[in-house]
Amino acid sequence: MNDHDIAELLPFYANGTLDTAERARVETELATCTTCASELRELHALAATLKARADAAPPLPEHVLDDAFARIATPATAIAATRLHTAWWGTPARYATAAMLVVGFGAAAFAAHHAREANVTATDTGGGAVSDVKQTTIFRVTPGPNAQKITVQHEHAAAPAEQTVAKQHRLAKKARLDLLVRDVEATLKQAQSAVRRAGGDVTSLDDTSPRSAGSVHAATMVVEVPADRLEDTLDHLGLLGTVQQRAIDAEDVDAAIVDEEARLRNLRRAETDLRTLMDKGGKVDDILTVQQNLSEVRGQIEQLDAQHRNDVHRVATSTIAVSITEDRPNPTPAVPGPTARIDGAWHSGLNALADSLIAFVTTLVWCVAYAPIPLALAGVTYAVARALQKRMAPVR
Amino acid sequence: MSDADDRGLLERIAARDKTAFETFFRAHGSGVHRFVRDLVRDDGLAEELTSDVMVEVWRNAGKYGGRSRARTWVFGIAHHKAIDALRKRRTTFVPLDDLLGVTSGAETPEEAVLRADDRRRLDAALTSLSAEHRAVLELTYVEGFSQKEIAEIVDVPVATVKTRAFYAKQRLRDALATAEHPR
Repeated sequence: MNDHDIAELLPFYANGTLDTAERARVETELATCTTCASELRELHALAATLKARADAAPPLPEHVLDDAFARIATPATAIAATRLHTAWWGTPARYATAAMLVVGFGAAAFAAHHAREANVTATDTGGGAVSDVKQTTIFRVTPGPNAQKITVQHEHAAAPAEQTVAKQHRLAKKARLDLLVRDVEATLKQAQSAVRRAGGDVTSLDDTSPRSAGSVHAATMVVEVPADRLEDTLDHLGLLGTVQQRAIDAEDVDAAIVDEEARLRNLRRAETDLRTLMDKGGKVDDILTVQQNLSEVRGQIEQLDAQHRNDVHRVATSTIAVSITEDRPNPTPAVPGPTARIDGAWHSGLNALADSLIAFVTTLVWCVAYAPIPLALAGVTYAVARALQKRMAPVR
Repeated sequence: MSDADDRGLLERIAARDKTAFETFFRAHGSGVHRFVRDLVRDDGLAEELTSDVMVEVWRNAGKYGGRSRARTWVFGIAHHKAIDALRKRRTTFVPLDDLLGVTSGAETPEEAVLRADDRRRLDAALTSLSAEHRAVLELTYVEGFSQKEIAEIVDVPVATVKTRAFYAKQRLRDALATAEHPR
């Protein structure tokens, strides 16, 4: 063992954590190496200084414990903790959930496809008025890296889908409603008044008027309503036409809000401390440093405060994106004139001739390609017949 | 508090026992706070990080495998969070206690000035070291961890810990010498 090896072990000899063998090696070396002994004295002095400095450090403020308690009390943490606590079955359960989601999604997509087909058929045949909800989608979103998105689809459900979001969470909800209506303009007015009655307001409106007689009138509108009036408003808006899609997307922002509040408290405390320092005065350099720190802290407070207000607003107010489309039956095809009919007959005749030629050539090619098989069969049959004739001839 | 006590507390924390969490917090919160504070050099951030570490303990107590001392495990979380915070934030805050502590205590003004001056010199020298060197000094001389435990906390091989401990002390000595005899 050389001097450098010993020098690297000395810090841990000084703090008393070496194992017996290493300790013995160091002690053997220390008995003869004066440099090592001097190095060890330095390390002891360093340890004493650092410990004294650590002891003089300000104690951990009690509010940090309060903050931690506030954070562990949030439902998101509780959910995460439960998941970790039951880690032994967590993996198979996740696989099972993933498999169920895949199967569920596949089944839902299949059902949706069939429903769409059925709907198209009903429209084509001028099917009766459909007042049922065609598709209802409920998203339940939980925060964090393990966010889950569950989609449930109900076909032709007469009643609005039940709300499955947990009431104890602070949720930022967004909804989407697609409507088919007879008169888009009248529906827009009714929708706006329904939203205002609910205490909300229209935040954007895009009404595209039809450019020609053949195009369909459509409009989109984004509204904000108080969160507790979201379901009522959706129900009211749903009555204005045929609901094609109704979806609610809920994001759990509870943990984020609690976190923002804790961070804001800390920053405001730091700001107060810095202001106290400013008031005390002192050297110009110190004052400038404090001023710079104060400005940084203020900037962080303002940024975090804006984010906090935005999150709180998102919880208090829900957004609904309403898409309104005119429900117009398919136009009756026009009866073609004599010229068009002759032109059609000519084209039909040419097409038929081309089809016949193609069919003839195709058959010929097939015959040529497969010719060896019937030829071989014919040869074998002929040979067998000849042989039978020869055997039967003497009998006669 | 012994390691067996800590393990018992972690088991209770995994079972969602808040009293055990508070006991654990009071036993290790100060050490964690001091450690992260020395790394990030920012009081407010150190408090946030201490809270983060303890919330992580609450969340992951069920994951503690018992391969190392509970204290080593907690300091591993603290080191990870502090280094992560240093990567994200490159702001240079002056520690508040430096500014606040000058006039505190029952010392004479002269003693206070001398003491503050020494502390400032040591702090300045420590600040000039890299976060890795500060961490290894703190963990070795203040927290009294072994080389193997420090390797686990900072997630590097034992040989690297030994080298860092050696060079950290050299760098600190150089920094103090420079502060004493500025060129």
